[in-house]
Formats: sequence, C-alpha cells, structure tokens
Amino acid sequence: MRKISLLALMLSLGLALNAQKLKTRSGYVKFFSDAAVEDISAENKQVSSIINLENGEFAFLAPIKAFEFEKALMQEHFNENYMESGKFPKAIFKGKIKGYEQIDLSKDGSYTLVFTGVMTIHGVEQKIEQKVMMTVKDGKASAEAEFMLKCSDYEVEIPSAKADNISNELKITVKFDYA
Amino acid sequence: MLKRYLVALALLPSLLIAQDDLLSELEGDAGQETDYAFATWKGTKVVNLQTNELPGAGVLQYTILHRFGSFSEDFMYNFLGLNNAQVRLTLDYSPTEWLNLGLGHTGFQKTYDGFVKYRLLRQSKGAINMPVSVTGFSSAYYSALRYDEQDFERNLGRRMSYVHELIIARKFNQNFSAQVVPTVIHTNLSQTFEDANTQIAIGLAARYKITAMHAITVEWVPILNGNSYIDPEAADGFSPYNNALSIGMDIETGGHVFQLFITNARGVAEPYAFTQTPGSWLEGDLHFGFNISRVFTMTH
Repeated sequence: MRKISLLALMLSLGLALNAQKLKTRSGYVKFFSDAAVEDISAENKQVSSIINLENGEFAFLAPIKAFEFEKALMQEHFNENYMESGKFPKAIFKGKIKGYEQIDLSKDGSYTLVFTGVMTIHGVEQKIEQKVMMTVKDGKASAEAEFMLKCSDYEVEIPSAKADNISNELKITVKFDYA
Repeated sequence: MLKRYLVALALLPSLLIAQDDLLSELEGDAGQETDYAFATWKGTKVVNLQTNELPGAGVLQYTILHRFGSFSEDFMYNFLGLNNAQVRLTLDYSPTEWLNLGLGHTGFQKTYDGFVKYRLLRQSKGAINMPVSVTGFSSAYYSALRYDEQDFERNLGRRMSYVHELIIARKFNQNFSAQVVPTVIHTNLSQTFEDANTQIAIGLAARYKITAMHAITVEWVPILNGNSYIDPEAADGFSPYNNALSIGMDIETGGHVFQLFITNARGVAEPYAFTQTPGSWLEGDLHFGFNISRVFTMTH
C-alpha cells in the first residue's frame, strides 16, 4: 500500500515538473514593409510558442498561410511568389533565453532578456540574437519584441520591378501572451 | 531495489517529454488542420476557358481581351493583325469568397453577357482531403446585332446563347496545374437546320510556372458534336469548325495579370471561341491575342 501511494506521489511529481512550461497557441506576429510607393503589413494571430522554464529553451512556430493581408491578392502573392508556403509552410525559431532564471511567475515585474537561437524562414536558417521584453503580471508571462529582418537573408527574392512596392527590410513585431 | 525502479518509473513521463523537442511539442499541439490549395492559376481565365479561380471577396476585376487578325490574312499589311482587333471587356465583383458576378461586352455580334461563377469544392489536404477544386460557371449572351434583311423575327429568344462550364482543377505542385472542363454551349438559333443547338465540349488546360511571375499555358477545347460553316471552297459547300487550341504565357505584375497567347479562335466570347472557330493551326490561321486583368480591392 505504501509503495502504491509512493508511486502515485512520484507520478504526480513527475507531471508537476512537466508543467513548468509556458505555452500559447495564439501568439501575434506582424510585419511591416515601408517602401516608396506603398506600405504593406500583415498580421498572424496563430503563432504558437513555448518556453521551458527549467532550462530556458524557447521556440515559436508561425504558419505562413496564417498571415493576413489587407488585400486577398497580396496574400496570394506573398504565399505563392515570395514565401513559397507550399514548400516552406512554417517560420520557426528555436533557441535559448539568457537569464531565464529571472522569470518568476510568483511576482509581477518586467525584464529585458536576450533570446539567442536559429530562425528558419523560407527554408533558410539564420542565427539570431534579440532582446525581448518579458513581463509577468498576475502570474502570467508575456514576451514582446520588435526587430528588423532582411528578406534577402532568407533568400526571399524581391524582383527589381517591385523594389518600390516591397521593402527588403521588414519591421517585425512579436507579442506572445503565455497561458 | 524495487523502490529505485519505482522512482525511475515515476520520473519517466517527465523525462520523456522533457527530452522531446519543444518544436515537436508545438506541432503536436497544433493538431491536424486543413491545408487548402491556392493560386492554382494566376488568373480567372486560361485563354478562353475559365479557371477554377475567383477574385477574392470584395474584389472588383476589370478585364480587357483582344484577338488580332490572322497570320494568314495579309499579316504585314494589317500591321501584324493589329488593325483587325476583336475586343471584349468584362467587369466582375466577388461579394463573397465563393461567388463572383460579372458583365461583359464583346464586339463580335455586338454581344452583351452576364455571368456567375461559384466555388463548389476546394482542393485540400490534412483534416479534409479533397483531390480537386471544382468551380461552376454559367453565362448568358445577348446579341444586339442589326440585320438589314429580316427573313424572320430576331426576338429576344433567338438572340440568346448560353455557356455552362464545370471546372475541375488540380494543382499538382507549386508549378504544375491542370484542369478538365466539361462544357455545354447552347445557342437558341442555330446557323442552319442541320446544326446542333446544344454542343458539348471537354476543355483541357494546363500551366507550368517557369518563374514565380511567369507561366506557360496551353488550352484545348474539343467539341464532341461540332457544327459546320459555309465554305465556298469546300466540295459540298460546308467545312467543319475547328476546335480552339491556344498556347500562351501568363505574366503577373502585382495587381495585373497579362496573358499573351496564340490561338486559332478569333471570337473572344465563349460561345464563339468554342463553337465558331473556322481557323486551323495546320493552315496557319492563327491569331495573336491577350487578356489583361486588373483588380481593385473595394472593402477594407
């Protein structure tokens, strides 16, 4: 009997350890292109992300087709001509959070942490080091960041005829509210 | 000893999951979603056939279609056929993602038309598996042509013709798409008593993308019960109409799609292109032509 209760305790402990992960399925990523002729922006509200609080591992996954544009045709061209989302359906980031030990869900606060890792977009991997603002409020964590990203770094080719419409440098805004 | 096993056993679930990749955990959470095929074609037409594509919801589309004079018909004198252009204009709007309504005018036979195009099935994989996209298209044409010698009354009914297409399309991969288009063409007033009023065609079309913005297209519309036209050179005074065959290139430039092609079909509107094409590829009765579309997003 004692053995069984011990087993049960151990099992629940094992599961409790697992729970030290922060997750979201409705993370937000926006990009903004500021070119001579027009501004283009698109939003994705179906980004999933996870933080393992035990070892500071971090990942996010953005389905390319979930980027929503003002114009239907822009969205089609984005997927078909630029991102080739049939071949490369996801943008992925995988890395670590430096100083993840600071994240304390038991008290409110905000701190800037450095996320390092590898971003994969359009099948091309790039090393990234990015400052991220982490906020804890009422026991819930959120992460926010804003940075520039070059299309050419990910072999997303913008034809010269489109250079006045689409900027090679995109401003990316990221906001994840973890459950 | 047993206790140690138990401890190890108890910690196993956490270890298993912790060692698992974070990414695969995210993907596992995502579950299976339906992935719909898109951009099977660059435009809403191949050349004369419709594609399964509709302009997006809230999009107004304007198209200009030209077919120039034949290569076999004093080509240089007619400035490469440009002096003899057949023109068609259309304007259509998609109130929703699955419905498109439009109006058109064609110079030949002074034809006015109204059309409706609607999505029935969308090619997809994942949670819902569907091998093809299916779109319906129906159009009614009114010829406003004046007749000097009225041998009988040209009332509304006698001026009408209709085309129905069922477009069954598949995007095989990023570059290659093809479609089969069972088509019914009905003309209330046939040219002769022997002619069929209702004709059936099985349209076939394919495209291959050579770059992100360029594609080669080919389209063939064999009629199963073709009619004949009056041909003074033929032994019995009649020659059968030919099937429309077109080879072209799509060029996409943001809001425009330019489609440049060579075709033996001179009539721009569907009933004329499919059932009234005297020209033959073998005899060099070819026409240069283009379709240009421009889209405007009306809603925000």
